[in-house]
Amino acid sequence: MKLKFKLATLAYIAGGFLCATFAQEKVETLEEIVVTGTGTEHLLKNAPVQTEIISRKTLDSYGGKSIEEILGGLTASFSFEEGDMGSQAQLNGLGNSYILILVDGKRLHGDVGGENDLSQIDPLNIDHIEIVKGAQSALYGSDAMAGVINIITKKHHDEGIYLENTTRYGCYNDIRQHNGVGLTYGKLNSFTNFQLQHNDGWRNTTQEYTEGKVVNDSRKKTSNERTNWQLAERLTYSFNKNFEVYADGSYHKKNIYRPQDGHYASCDVYTYDLMYKNMSASVGSKWKLNKNDLLSADVDWNKHAYFYNYTATTLTDGYDPLGRFTNYFPYFRGQKSLQSDQQRIIANVKGVFNLSKENKLSTGIEYRYDYLKAPMRTEGGTAGDWTGSFYLQDEFNPFAWLNLTGGLRLNENGNFGFRATPKINAMFSVKDFRFRMGWSQGFKTPTTKELYYRYLHVMGSSTYFNMGNTDLKPQTSNYYSVGAEYRGDKFTVSTTVYLNKLDNMITLVNVPVDEIPVDATSAYIGDGSGEVIARKYKNMEDAQTQGADLNITYKICKNLSVGGNYSYLDTKAHEYNASKKKLIEVTIDGMAHHKWNGYVNWNQALTSVYKLGVNLSTRGSSKRYYQNNGDGAPFQLWRLNTTHDFSKKGKLMSYRAEAGVDNLFNYIDKTMHPYHLGTNNPGRTFYIGFSIKFNQGKNIKPTKISNSKTFSDED
Amino acid sequence: MKIKSLTAAVLASLALAMGFSSCSDDEEEASVTNNYSIYQKAVDNQVILGKKNNKAILLVAFGSTWQNAFKAFDNTVEAYKKQFPDCDVYMSFSSAICINRAAAGEHANDSGDDKAERRNYYAPNFWLHAFGSAKYEEITVQSLQVIPGEEYSRVINYIKDFANNSLGDLDDKYLSKVSLKLGTPLLNNTDDVDNVAKIINKLYSSEAKKAAVAFMGHGNPDSYDTYKANIRYTQLEEALQKYSKNYFVGTVDMPDNYKQDVYARMKSAGLESGKVILYPLMSIAGDHAHNDMAGEGDEYWDESDEESEDNSWNEYFSHKGYTTKCNIKGLLEIEDIRKVWIEHTKNPVELEDYYHSMYPED
Repeated sequence: MKLKFKLATLAYIAGGFLCATFAQEKVETLEEIVVTGTGTEHLLKNAPVQTEIISRKTLDSYGGKSIEEILGGLTASFSFEEGDMGSQAQLNGLGNSYILILVDGKRLHGDVGGENDLSQIDPLNIDHIEIVKGAQSALYGSDAMAGVINIITKKHHDEGIYLENTTRYGCYNDIRQHNGVGLTYGKLNSFTNFQLQHNDGWRNTTQEYTEGKVVNDSRKKTSNERTNWQLAERLTYSFNKNFEVYADGSYHKKNIYRPQDGHYASCDVYTYDLMYKNMSASVGSKWKLNKNDLLSADVDWNKHAYFYNYTATTLTDGYDPLGRFTNYFPYFRGQKSLQSDQQRIIANVKGVFNLSKENKLSTGIEYRYDYLKAPMRTEGGTAGDWTGSFYLQDEFNPFAWLNLTGGLRLNENGNFGFRATPKINAMFSVKDFRFRMGWSQGFKTPTTKELYYRYLHVMGSSTYFNMGNTDLKPQTSNYYSVGAEYRGDKFTVSTTVYLNKLDNMITLVNVPVDEIPVDATSAYIGDGSGEVIARKYKNMEDAQTQGADLNITYKICKNLSVGGNYSYLDTKAHEYNASKKKLIEVTIDGMAHHKWNGYVNWNQALTSVYKLGVNLSTRGSSKRYYQNNGDGAPFQLWRLNTTHDFSKKGKLMSYRAEAGVDNLFNYIDKTMHPYHLGTNNPGRTFYIGFSIKFNQGKNIKPTKISNSKTFSDED
Repeated sequence: MKIKSLTAAVLASLALAMGFSSCSDDEEEASVTNNYSIYQKAVDNQVILGKKNNKAILLVAFGSTWQNAFKAFDNTVEAYKKQFPDCDVYMSFSSAICINRAAAGEHANDSGDDKAERRNYYAPNFWLHAFGSAKYEEITVQSLQVIPGEEYSRVINYIKDFANNSLGDLDDKYLSKVSLKLGTPLLNNTDDVDNVAKIINKLYSSEAKKAAVAFMGHGNPDSYDTYKANIRYTQLEEALQKYSKNYFVGTVDMPDNYKQDVYARMKSAGLESGKVILYPLMSIAGDHAHNDMAGEGDEYWDESDEESEDNSWNEYFSHKGYTTKCNIKGLLEIEDIRKVWIEHTKNPVELEDYYHSMYPED
């Protein structure tokens, strides 16, 4: 610890020296524009709804290889439940299904439970990330009870040809490949994006508790080998300055490979790998009615299919040659079977109208249809659900120092009827200070998975039979927040205190084993080993998360900046325990009271063509609490990233190299399987990356925003 | 012209995206419809090639993924082979997951001596069909269950499906003649209960003189107790108590016969302290025996809810003021008990009226 402190101090002092030496140039502040909270553009400091931003610059200097690494390392509000099958995000105590992930304002599609696969986002194609906590936005649905993450991708508006290649390589055969091809020909603009991610996976421990004892040669991995790739295309045609149409589509495939050499049938032997296929297609248009008013319409289709890829002969539920249900339908090595196919269509028409100087109205309608096909995992094989919404939001500025933003979203769901959810935010401005307070209601109907799905879930030595529940009630939430912010030229500090109260929160709870329908699966009951645990989606009586977030940045000089985030969280939840016949207080899994991160960042142009960047960062968490399988140990990790930019004004080509060390002090959580880890980081890893950009043409499209600040989202 | 090219571009883009989905999932599914018969053929061939006798014995257990259980099953098969030298003995699991995992893993691809770890505990329906293809003259199916409950009823259904030629590809003439026999579970009737009680007392009478001896069975949950099979546990306790009031039999899943009910009975028998010796009453010692019965430490004890199913018997009785001792051995590992199952195989139920072909005209 002492050594870490010394190193951090040393880095700080050295940074100060460098700053004093080179800080001759005028300090300039780049203003950041955000859109997520209200759906309209605002300077970050004037955003009516408290918005956290991870800027392009921060992303570049941090050098994260995945969304998990970026969000986990650059905000204190996120944590990831990192298992051998992938990671589950948690935002201020609430899990994946309560977090709405948008890519350029469009809902990412994933599992029906809302568990989005973050590998669908190319980490090397992100311009910036905006985060709005709580169900504060009327525009994106009220089901974002934990918050909204809006990933804004890099855009290419230059006339001519743009080519980009980034290749990054690290320990454990970690490969991140990104290619972008941009073409602008007259009014037609095309952007093609390719990404590939691969990691061999790693094993932090060979210890596992199984068969009533600890074994020392488990082959289970802490993180499994995985490969995913994605090809995306977007075509935009601008009829004139005011009207454009677009069409885009993408294909994403992901494979997770599990060890094939297991020692123990009870815990580390697998007979199938996992595969996911995602597809999307959208068309839409944007029409600027005049200088201030806008109409847009979009139709999106998404598909998420989930397969087992068999690696050994496997008997599973299916139909015998006579069409009768059997628990023993065989699959052979190399074959695959569809577990679920989830499709979604969203149609959206939205308008933004400046009613007067003081009033800006956003309104729209949205229709959403979810379809689930799961031959062996739902009773009838398929299920569907629709929701229609109408929303209104008014940004009202009665005085220069006051902004009131009110919103209302009316939802009509096919299964659960009507519900209105109001939202109100107030912002007071005093010079560089902003004070915000907000209240918003959330409403989330049970997903098709929570209603109808049933499946056997094998996790190491534990086998669960998870069941949907058609008696579920919708979840509702009330989110209250109060925040204060100072945003000066050099120094910014913001703090937010929040309370999120959820009623009828839906979660999987243990139920008596006889709730599993007889013959629903072969493993419903044991005669002495491998007992299956029955779990059903149920409404908890209530749950609440409360906490405070603090963000500080200080720009010591043009070249040197420091910053940090801290998040305090407490959760309370009650559920009715059927076997105990009483309400009991339970922990929300994965909750940690304290999370923090910090960084020192130094950038300096050393010659006219070479610019060096050095970023030292740290992140940590206190103990993470779980209901079963132990708590996750506290941890603190350090990371050093360096960037090397080579470019010359007026040249078509620019180059960038990146090299770094993650987990400098080689901290490894070696907690044995199947107990929870605080972090699944593999220990010290090294990486290098190289980017080449070819940009032929001139910038033809600087964008103006309402408050007259000019910016370009292309660098 | 521009509109045309734009429309073409939009359509091409949509077609591209939709095109990705054209390799339909249904097509992938269609290619596996023959799997069932391919798998069955593999089991058939294994039996045809390995057939040494005209009589077959099929031992049916739920299954396990534990190494010690695999050994217990291996030893049981060996014991059967010794007792029935004129029969081919086969071992079967009814749990698909247990079958899958026992057949895969590190040694699955090895050959020669290393192949020992690979175990093919095919499901009963596949074995029976293979016996039919190999035309065994006599087939005895022995249930390795403890009580005639839900699992046992599934064993009977497998035999019915076989006898009725449910897939329609066996020789009906053969099926109408084959001698089908059923070996009943350990505690099939009250005579079995008395017999097992006698054996248990012979084994543990000296312990019962000094301490309470409690057995933990599985039991069927309320809704699965189709045949009122849970009563065997109660009857066994009654039979054992004829030898000593210190014997108790409880379960994990039988309503009103959980650990707290055993404790209540102990108290009313005047055993409020002293020593409790715990034994599993299950064919093999797996999760239940190791965790629900013998589990030790904080993970197996929740003070706020003593009767929680997550609290082990070991911790429960310790916290009730007893000193505990756990013996973890499955019933199949106890030779004298295993002999009862063997006796059931020697004296099986003759299933003379099971044949009723679904395809008599074939």
